[in-house]
Amino acid sequence: MPQTQKKRFALFTVLCLAFAFVPSANAMHIMEGYLPPAICVVWGAVCLPFLVLGVRNINRKAGEQHQTLLMLALCGAFVFVISSLKIPSVTGSCSHMTGTGLSAILFGPAVTSVLGLIVLVFQAILLAHGGLTTLGANCFSMAIAGPLAAYGLYRALQAAKVDRKVSVFLAAFFGDLFTYCVTSVQLAVTYPAAEGGVAASLVKFMGVFAPTQLPLAVVEGILTVVIVIGLETYAARELKEIGYLGGNET
Amino acid sequence: MIKMNPILQARDLRYSYGEKRMALNGVSMDIAQGEKIAVLGSNGAGKSTFFLHLNGVLSPDSGEIRFRDTAITRKTVNELRRHVSIVFQNADDQIIASTVREEVSFGPVNLKLPRDEVAARVEEALDYMNLSAFRDRPPHYLSGGEKKRVSIADVIAMRPELILFDEPTASLDPLNAELLEQVLDRLSAGGKTILLSTHDVDFAYRWAERLVVFHDGRIIADGDPLRVFQDRAVIRQASLKRPMLLDIYEGLAAKGLSTGAAYPRSVQALLGGLPNIG
Amino acid sequence: MEEQKHRRGRGHRHSGAVLSIDYYAYASAIRRWNPYFKAAFSMACLVLCLAYDSLAVSAAVILAMAWVTVCLGGLPCRRYLPLLSIPFVFMLLGSAAIAFGVSLHPAGQYRLRLGFFYLYSSRESLLQGLHLMLKALGAVSAMYMLTLSTPASEIIQVLRAVHVPKVIVELMSLIYRYIFILMDTQGRMKKAASARLGYCDYRTALSTFGRTASNLLVVSLKKGDAYYQALASRCYSGELRFLTEQKPVRAAQVVLAAGFLVLLTILWRLTG
Repeated sequence: MPQTQKKRFALFTVLCLAFAFVPSANAMHIMEGYLPPAICVVWGAVCLPFLVLGVRNINRKAGEQHQTLLMLALCGAFVFVISSLKIPSVTGSCSHMTGTGLSAILFGPAVTSVLGLIVLVFQAILLAHGGLTTLGANCFSMAIAGPLAAYGLYRALQAAKVDRKVSVFLAAFFGDLFTYCVTSVQLAVTYPAAEGGVAASLVKFMGVFAPTQLPLAVVEGILTVVIVIGLETYAARELKEIGYLGGNET
Repeated sequence: MIKMNPILQARDLRYSYGEKRMALNGVSMDIAQGEKIAVLGSNGAGKSTFFLHLNGVLSPDSGEIRFRDTAITRKTVNELRRHVSIVFQNADDQIIASTVREEVSFGPVNLKLPRDEVAARVEEALDYMNLSAFRDRPPHYLSGGEKKRVSIADVIAMRPELILFDEPTASLDPLNAELLEQVLDRLSAGGKTILLSTHDVDFAYRWAERLVVFHDGRIIADGDPLRVFQDRAVIRQASLKRPMLLDIYEGLAAKGLSTGAAYPRSVQALLGGLPNIG
Repeated sequence: MEEQKHRRGRGHRHSGAVLSIDYYAYASAIRRWNPYFKAAFSMACLVLCLAYDSLAVSAAVILAMAWVTVCLGGLPCRRYLPLLSIPFVFMLLGSAAIAFGVSLHPAGQYRLRLGFFYLYSSRESLLQGLHLMLKALGAVSAMYMLTLSTPASEIIQVLRAVHVPKVIVELMSLIYRYIFILMDTQGRMKKAASARLGYCDYRTALSTFGRTASNLLVVSLKKGDAYYQALASRCYSGELRFLTEQKPVRAAQVVLAAGFLVLLTILWRLTG
């Protein structure tokens, strides 16, 4: 490789690496146009059964009580607003909570799948985070897989009588990490590496997003603890009304 | 007092929000066509709860609401909502649609009116509230005063007979408060019956023809505004203040400066009654 | 970005955060176009851009969508370009992961030794990365054509028409309205908190952020009763229905749109 080309290549690399250290949480939304149509359809189809369950669950809860729907809408708007806010950060760069773990702990995975889908649509059309064709893939990683992991872990830790704050932190933390892993897998499957295939590609995607996602998961865990504790202190009645931790998720 | 042909009657309403304290503890009231009634009382006295009963959003634990001699039950509650509308205190609590035009159409559409009729009523209400230029604007980019006007257009489009205003002047600037009074006057002139709650005793004294005072879930006074404000026991019990105009007039009268026999309801009337000096 | 928002001349300013895309959608000169037409055209361009997967098609979509949004819609370039940069970080990282490989042994056409491993790339994979960036930009432009000219409420109306389940559509309508109420409340809480030094250092800022957030949900849920009462007082019966404006589609629009889609197909045939 000629000297000048080598230099140019090095420069490009350094540039990319520098960008990799700019934390930006919306980096985990797969952007519009990044997945071929067939893959988009597949992920949409994967989400479908979960969403059907979620819609049924909401229909059963809301049924004749129109007010329940309204409460759920407020929760959905809350998740959107939380995820659109800039998290305070040391470097002054811009990152956002995903609200994934919080929503799963508060509202359960079934409701979260539907609220998450709606939040993702609004994030795409109002904030340009994520996209419309990538909705299926993003919905699976952020509204289904992540929340399920967070919820499962939370219930397991609670059953094992682990401290409340620790459970909430771990649930939100691993919920975020799981979302990040699922997204990396989604990208790796779509774009396998020339040498090493999907596995090598997965390592690359995980590596490239790790600097933004690992700190974010920690912050998300801490914030989720603060929020959940605050809610328990001030809104016990309202939370019971929307079935918070009611164990009536089926 | 007009007690002929009440359009709306409340009989011994009792209601509690699940706590021990009764929000309404035996409230009875008759409202006749065309009345201008102001409801006073401190926060938590039961005014808003009473309004929500008059429109059928809440149903009493015991007691009865009658609209034009029909007792209101679960089945007839929409009949009540069709004829009695509430303008809520906070316009943001009320506004639900994404453009002003859609917002104002919400009530008429729910009344299951034909499309043309809905469109005509919306245009009329927008025109009435001077909002036609805002037709396609989203409510979330309007100012507080503009949102208030939208919330009033909301109910005008439903063409109710009785309009309930829950603290309409709260959080309005002086100009918008004045515009609101003009709207109230126009509505009265157009034959609407108006019931409003307020903390502004000067406004109540100036505007109302009948005054109702709530205290602790009961009505402790109901009658001519002047008489109610002159009843010091009621004023004390409900923690109200007397209107400034009343104090000034009586103060002037005590110094022998009053000529007019009747109590003035406005500053102009007060000044008009004073003798010229020099 | 922050500064730019404050300099915006038209409309009035708001407390708290502003969703600029929503704001531009209401201000767009092509807001009067039929939303079903816009949605169909935007989706068609998006899907063709992805399906044809060609540099020429991507470039044509980027240019055409920019023309519609900026020239017809009247959105100034200096507002449009920053919006295009929103997905930039993802695009750069994602494309880098595709264009470059990591290996313990020397591999690929170009390589760079970084300690014990090699970062390598090849002409094809660099091209593939570039290709993908352009395609994604085309897709984003097509989506922007819709979202920068069509308020979310009209997009929800389109979803209702294509038979998205009722409960989802109802939730979306409610959520869209509540987003603005909550953002307003949040903005006020944030101001009050920073006035009391709630953001003085990182630790405090995190705790303030979390507490403001939980307070936001508490306040909103407590308000839920008031929202429901206001709806019920206007005869709400579980379905949000409004008088929607009928916006006609013009024949010329359909012809031009169809022509453009044919042009994309020809481009794809010629260059593919």
